Amino acid sequence: MSDYSYIIYDVQDRTATITINREEVYNALNADAKYEIVKAIRAANKDSEVRSIILTAKGKAFCTGQDLNDRSVQAGEKPVDLGNTLETEWNPLVQSIRNSKKIVIGAINGVSAGAGLSVALACDYIVAAPGIRFISGFSKLGLAPDAGSSFTFTRALGQKRTLDFFLFNEPLSSEDLAEAGLINFVAAELIEKANEVSAKINAMAPSCVELIKKNIQLAAESTFKESINNEIYAQRFLGNSEDYKEGLSAFFEKRAPNFKGN
Amino acid sequence: MSELITTHPFNNDLRIALLKLNRPKVLNALTTDLLQEIVSELRRLEDLPEVRCIIITGDDRAFAAGADILKMAEATAMDQLNDKRLRLWKEFALISKPIIAAVNGFALGGGHELSMACDFVIAGEEAKFGQPEINIGTTPGAGGTQRLTRAVGKNKAMMLALTGEMISAREALECNLIAKVVPSMTLLQESFEVAKKIADKSPIATKLIKDSINKSQEMSLSDGIEYERRNFYLTFASEDQKEGMSAFLEKRSPEYKGN
Repeated sequence: MSDYSYIIYDVQDRTATITINREEVYNALNADAKYEIVKAIRAANKDSEVRSIILTAKGKAFCTGQDLNDRSVQAGEKPVDLGNTLETEWNPLVQSIRNSKKIVIGAINGVSAGAGLSVALACDYIVAAPGIRFISGFSKLGLAPDAGSSFTFTRALGQKRTLDFFLFNEPLSSEDLAEAGLINFVAAELIEKANEVSAKINAMAPSCVELIKKNIQLAAESTFKESINNEIYAQRFLGNSEDYKEGLSAFFEKRAPNFKGN
Repeated sequence: MSELITTHPFNNDLRIALLKLNRPKVLNALTTDLLQEIVSELRRLEDLPEVRCIIITGDDRAFAAGADILKMAEATAMDQLNDKRLRLWKEFALISKPIIAAVNGFALGGGHELSMACDFVIAGEEAKFGQPEINIGTTPGAGGTQRLTRAVGKNKAMMLALTGEMISAREALECNLIAKVVPSMTLLQESFEVAKKIADKSPIATKLIKDSINKSQEMSLSDGIEYERRNFYLTFASEDQKEGMSAFLEKRSPEYKGN
């Protein structure tokens, strides 16, 4: 019996693949589905066999955001607290991807909408199928963008284009986002490409991968001075690692390094 | 396995000792027994002349999260009054050597009070700080309203202690609750680097600075300045002051002997 009802979790060749499995609702997420993704990312981080994570979905959609059938988000006679839904469900999900020590590769197979945008773009490395649509949709419901998308889009597209995107809900394509630097690759052979990226990461020194990810995230929110200090901390730490010794020997011996993760 | 693991010398440096809280299953909950162990170990290290700086840490998930709620749930006021915790905290405050709290993960309730009882805090990015006692119908009882208020001011202290909410390392740095934030993975290495800087200095001056700064939390400004001045005079009775100033004038590194 699997631990999961809404996702599929599978580990192969040191890569954990998390597949959102709610095709019938275009992979909209209810509270339990969100929690299962968080749980799977946690499991992948704990598993010393796993070096990287792929997040993808089944069917035509990647993730269409909030499952509006969830009682807690339906406006009725009682006041509804969507802030709480963010604080206790969506933000922990987005943060679990961002805080994952292991790289999360998003393999975006289909449309991403609403908070699903934030889940897609929270991934560290993103491969998307050609012609996929990324849609906001919030303002159609009378809501504003959430779960980190205001931050992510404004940094990449600037304020004017981002305002346009969130006000009028015109979709952006995978090609548009690749051009804006929000995704890494547009690839028709999506899973093959994602596996190729994960195989490369799996051969690297895990601490170096983790600190590269961390320091890039921190740089987006730091001053130059803070950022160069974080580089000192990272380099001092890595300079004392066995993997660095291995990397150096491999370099001088003109062979491929065999990193052990220590 | 012991609930407190001492590594001394730490990173082959005899001047530095690392105390690691080791109750991972309960997020390093700070029982009276564990607090007793910490204090006993600090007193032992206090008496070892080669030790110049002490680092206290937990693990990736928790520095220390609270006290033992299971034990406390049925306690009476008299049980608490007869508990030796207050005495242990006072003994903790008597340690004259610098103590750095290296915090990854949760520092909550009694665990947060432990970090504030240390001389300063270095935190990993993912550390979280809070006084959640209000959530279980009680109040902080070991500095969580006093040291906290002195560190962050009344407004932030009130909000933290009244809501029981946690703040991130970044927020803690912004409100002066902690001294430095580093990427979590590098926490121990960076705490060691800071400890080394302190260990290179005169132990006499180090002890007197710790004493003067601690007094600033207890005294009026004018009394504090008088007190500080006396500690300043006192350094002139030390060999270390002579050595420090000669080394400076002779453009060489000083060699402090702690006398």
